[in-house]
Amino acid sequence: MAAADPNHRMSLWAAEEQMEEDPIDLNINMTANYSSAQYDDNYNDTDAGPQIDEATVLAMQHHMAFSQIPDVVKGFIVHFHQAVLDNNLAEITVAYESGWNKLTEKFYSKTEWPEAEVIAPLVNDDQIFLILYRELYYRHVYSRLQPNIDDRFHSYENSCELFNYLLNSDGPVDLQLPEQWLWDIIDEFIYQFSVFCTWRSKVKSKTDDELMMLADGTQIWSSYSVLNVLYSLIQKSKINDYIVASQQAKTPEEVEEIVGPFGSKPLYRMLGYFSIIGLLRVHVLLGDFTLALKVMDNIELNQKSPLTRVTACHVTTYYYVGFCYVMLRRYPDAIRTFVTILNFIMRMRQYHTRSYQYDQISKTADRMYALFTICNSLSPSRLDDNIANIAKERFNEQFAKISRGGEEAVPAYEDLFTYAAPKFISSIPPPYEDPTALSNLMSMPTSPPEPSSRHLQLFLSDVRSHAPEQTLRSFLKLYTSLDAGKLAGLLSIGDESNNKDEEEVVQEMMAMKMGSRSISRVVGGQDAGKGLLEGETISTTDLNFAIDENMIHIAESTVGRRYAGWFIKNTERAQRTLDDLKSAPLPPPTAKAPANPGGATRAKGAVSGRPGGQKVTWATVKS
Amino acid sequence: MTTASSMSTWICPPTRQETIENLVSGVDRYNPSNVGILEDYLYHQIRSSEYDCLANLAILKLYQFNPDLYNADVVINILLKALAASPLPDYNLCMSLLDERPAPSPEDDEDADPSAVILPILTSLHGLLLECKFPVFWKRYRGEEVKGLRDNYTVEFKGFEEAIREVVVRAVKATFTRIGRERFGGYLDLQGSELDSFISNLGWKMDGGVVTVPANPDNQIESTVVHEAIKLPQLAKVIAHSAKIAA
Repeated sequence: MAAADPNHRMSLWAAEEQMEEDPIDLNINMTANYSSAQYDDNYNDTDAGPQIDEATVLAMQHHMAFSQIPDVVKGFIVHFHQAVLDNNLAEITVAYESGWNKLTEKFYSKTEWPEAEVIAPLVNDDQIFLILYRELYYRHVYSRLQPNIDDRFHSYENSCELFNYLLNSDGPVDLQLPEQWLWDIIDEFIYQFSVFCTWRSKVKSKTDDELMMLADGTQIWSSYSVLNVLYSLIQKSKINDYIVASQQAKTPEEVEEIVGPFGSKPLYRMLGYFSIIGLLRVHVLLGDFTLALKVMDNIELNQKSPLTRVTACHVTTYYYVGFCYVMLRRYPDAIRTFVTILNFIMRMRQYHTRSYQYDQISKTADRMYALFTICNSLSPSRLDDNIANIAKERFNEQFAKISRGGEEAVPAYEDLFTYAAPKFISSIPPPYEDPTALSNLMSMPTSPPEPSSRHLQLFLSDVRSHAPEQTLRSFLKLYTSLDAGKLAGLLSIGDESNNKDEEEVVQEMMAMKMGSRSISRVVGGQDAGKGLLEGETISTTDLNFAIDENMIHIAESTVGRRYAGWFIKNTERAQRTLDDLKSAPLPPPTAKAPANPGGATRAKGAVSGRPGGQKVTWATVKS
Repeated sequence: MTTASSMSTWICPPTRQETIENLVSGVDRYNPSNVGILEDYLYHQIRSSEYDCLANLAILKLYQFNPDLYNADVVINILLKALAASPLPDYNLCMSLLDERPAPSPEDDEDADPSAVILPILTSLHGLLLECKFPVFWKRYRGEEVKGLRDNYTVEFKGFEEAIREVVVRAVKATFTRIGRERFGGYLDLQGSELDSFISNLGWKMDGGVVTVPANPDNQIESTVVHEAIKLPQLAKVIAHSAKIAA
């Protein structure tokens, strides 16, 4: 049955071209039934008397709107609804990932999808489906169009309805959704929250209507309500218990016993899981980097983690974890986090270029290259030369300024950070409900600085403490021992502004020393399984020094040439080539003929293409 | 840097009581009615030499969500504690949670919110510590501009100056093998017999005006060549493939 359905679906909306010329009966029937069964009465009413009540007008509008929906869209909605009713994950996935996007491109790239009320008759007024439909409807408004205040309020209310339905049912609801969609629900919820906060903070551009609605709606998209949803999903699903139980290798029965009826359902489990990632993100947006990492205590960041099942989730998690490490000044940890995920993105690129999320992922990847550039200059590492080269290429200009050091470096850091940091939000709304305070705020000549600029300044305070490093390094590298006074003299050559005395240089050296020490999770160390905040102090520099009174002694660590990575990569490539050759189809018969023993020399080329021939070669090498 | 060598005590200091632990790690941290418990705990830290960064961040989190709770004295004390933890990033972590507060309207008394004046001072002091400009730090700290901070806050803070000297000692210990007595005194803002007893309390030897800093992993330097270490997981694919071929 599952095999037959996709074909059917294809004829409904995947191949719209064909559809429009030849609409199938179902759609016509639907339209016909709809108008005759539900709206004929209304028509009669309008004809009968001059009093048209509001409900009638609305119904007429809906009818008008309904009649404008292309048949292919109607068919899509009917089938989408049926797939959800049947809990048919395969069909839901195709409708969600492919059908919706294709129809959006075709009909709704610049306008809203039909409102939920309009399509309600198509889905028998199924409230749950309508909530899910609105989830998609608003997401489309946010991503393609400009949401107005009604959209912002209603998308919040719709999210609340969805979460209430999931959380306040007597038992787990009988609904299944693809993991990708579950992730998108949480992801979008937080996205809409953050854009609302940003929009809300801009007091001066509000219309009177908007001011009134904001004064009344202080609870809409409040930080507390958003956190409440995420924590509730985590608690309802007992996801943390689930993770701990799984790590202890309990049997499925034991796990089910522990997590209870809600947590046993994939829907709740994944929502709980994604809510942890959601918390990570919300805490970062609010500037709480320790709490962000702390909520991740139970989650293991590795290739086997369930978070890797949804690529967008995988990438988001690493981005925010890495960013927390940047703000905790744990640059080696940040570098490791970014390198891991950037390598992953590079590997998966070949499969995902056409995925509708690819743009988003590749934007996040670019921001991580920028953050990598920042970290790698504040704490140079040779962890992954390949990633370092790509980052260097991509942010060539900033990289050059940073490498030169001095005054120009700070604006370059600023550029990179502003580009790559998340869009921070302020949890406190302007005082819309207090007219006096609001008018005070409006009359202020300058708006208060945005949260992002505050975080930028905090980050730059660390950059400044690293500022003298590049120049100092370049001199220290030339000596094994050097008097601090002489170093001060060297520094002022060619740079009159850099006129420092011996004492200042010594203090800069101390700052450099402290800057080359960092907390880091030791790879494979005892922290491996523990929380992301754990770590030990490590040295992050290859240029070590100690000061004996005024004499600086310098010792440089060099990294021996690395061969292993190259050999491993090429061995793996050779193996892949071998596999490809072995699985390649046999050459066509024409090529076979010259492969007879005693054939011409030309035949050898043809033989080498055959798996059999390769196998022999391999065996010879081995023995 | 022995005090910062492991994050475990930073994440959960052994002195943290269970009630606090439940607040810090649980959902109850969002309950505004718990702010008193955490504030009392902060003042306990101020009077003792204990320090609990995450508990203090929980206070700031409550202020962030409930601006009405904001207590400038508490914020200043939290920042002083964080200052003394330098070079850990605690100070900036605290500042990250302090959202922009609406500027006081003109009719408000200037004394109403001491944090408006004191926060910029603390931030500049923090910058000086981060850049290891210790003599300038002390000069500014002793200056007229910072009088309000000294008279109203650090006077109540048990061992504030000692805590800053700890910051100095951490930096000196990591950087120097030997350091001139005068220079060290300048960093510590100590002279004469006070300086001598400070040095002997550290257990460091002094000889003819030069202090010898004990050997530690940070001031012992050595040129090394780092050779690559190949870990088994790197070879997993290659081995797995070979095994498959062999089979």
